[in-house]
Formats: sequence, structure tokens, C-alpha cells
Amino acid sequence: MLLDETPNTVGYMIAGYAVFFGLPFLYLVSWLVRQRDLEKDIELIETLSEEKKK
Amino acid sequence: MSKSDRNLQILNVVTALLLVAATGLVFLYAPRETSMGDVQRIFYFHVPSAWVAGLAFLVTVIAGIAYLRTHEGTWDVVASSSVEIGVVFALMNIITGAIWARPIWNTWWTWDPRLTTATITWLIYVAYLMLRAGIEDPDRRARFAAVYGIVGFVSVPITYFSIQMMRSIHPVLFGPANPLAKGSAPLTPAMLQTFLFCLFTFTVVYFCFLFNRIRLQRLNDRVEQLKAKLLSA
Repeated sequence: MLLDETPNTVGYMIAGYAVFFGLPFLYLVSWLVRQRDLEKDIELIETLSEEKKK
Repeated sequence: MSKSDRNLQILNVVTALLLVAATGLVFLYAPRETSMGDVQRIFYFHVPSAWVAGLAFLVTVIAGIAYLRTHEGTWDVVASSSVEIGVVFALMNIITGAIWARPIWNTWWTWDPRLTTATITWLIYVAYLMLRAGIEDPDRRARFAAVYGIVGFVSVPITYFSIQMMRSIHPVLFGPANPLAKGSAPLTPAMLQTFLFCLFTFTVVYFCFLFNRIRLQRLNDRVEQLKAKLLSA
């Protein structure tokens, strides 16, 4: 490779941007999972408290 | 839908649009750096992710002080939410730094002062989350976490100034140039504009994440209250 030649580093750039978008995406998915579980918990608690009242 | 929910949805849309614009600037507007090639484009998200991590840990300090003064649970929610976001962005910064280093420094990792202190900072805040998970009493957990968050922040300025205080091959963006730096390059006006836009976008992303995370935590608190009510009834 000549010194004045721009190196081909596209692969590293793609890997970098996969991390930039992939990591927050996984984090957002973890939020959605947590939110879904909490909503299920609320439904269950409401059902249990209604049964308790009866 | 409440007013705060609507405002949060607007913020979510604005953040998504800003991210699209920032990505467009990185790939379509900023020129390719000639000595490093396309890998240099990592810079536009790499530095802002470090900025977001530092900002998140600073917000944790402010929220921690506010909690110790007022004992209001909201501050504890802000602090813990902020740390979680900071840990994600700090990890993003460390991993992308290693990817950038491979073609430029010819290694994925070196025990350079900046890399080492950044990793220690990340570990300190991972330990913060583990500490929280290990304490059941909410008041005790909030008090311990507030103190830990304040003390742990010492690692952030150490990380920032490490490349000026010690011999390092990491480039210096702000301040006097580092003669030992490998991979530093002067920014053209288009590069600087793109960088500043990305910095602004990431700041908005942080606040968007923070408000959404606080909302999730409130839902979690509601479940805890309902559970306690059910058990006491």
C-alpha cells in the first residue's frame, strides 16, 4: 500500500455503526420486555384483588 | 393520553428525525478523511457517546445530591435511570473505540491511559447498578446509591484529563495537541459541522432516553405499590 493512498477501512466503519445502532436497539428491546412484564403484573394484581374482594 | 405522554411522543419523533439527519450528514455530507479512510466516520458518534455517558453520570451526581437533601424518591429514579443510560453509551464508546483502533493503531486494545480509565469508569457504574440490585430496602438503596454516584463521578474527569496528564497515543480533541497521538486529523469545516450536529443530536437522544426510562420506572413503582397493597389487604 502506498503511503499517499487512502486505506480501505469500510468494514471497520460498518462494524462501528452496527454497534452504534445495535446496542441502543437491544437496550430499547429490554425496555419493551420490562414494560410488557410490568403490564402483565398489573393485570394479575388487579385480578387477584378482585378475587380477594369476592 | 396525558399531556406528558404526548410531549414524550413528540420528543421521540424529533429524536428519531435528528438521528436520521445526523446519519445522513455522517455518510453524505462529511468528507472521507484521507489518511484513515472511512473508519474515521466512527468519530462522529464515538465522541458524542462519550459525552452522553459523562452527562448521564453528571446528572446522577446532581440527582444524588438532590436526593440526599430532600429524600424525594423522584431524584433516586432520575439518578438510577441516568446511570443505566450512561453505562450503555460508555460501552458503545469503548467498543467503537476498539474497532477504530484496529486499523489505525494496529491493535484492538492497548492499556493506554484513556482506554484504561474509560473502562474503569464503566466498571464503576456497572457496580453502581449491581449495588442497587443488592439492597432491598428502598430508602437505604437510594441513600447508598446517591453517595456512590457522587463519589464514583471522580472517575469521569480523570478519564477526560488522562490523555493530558499521562503519556498516551489517544488523540486530544479539545486542548493542546498530543505529539504522541496516532490517528488524529484536523477537522475540515464540513467535518466540524457534522460533529457538532451529532453532539447536539446525542444530547437530545440522552434526554429522550432519560424521560422514557423514568416513565418505565414509574410503572415499576406502581406495580410495587399495588403488590404491597394486595399483601397488606
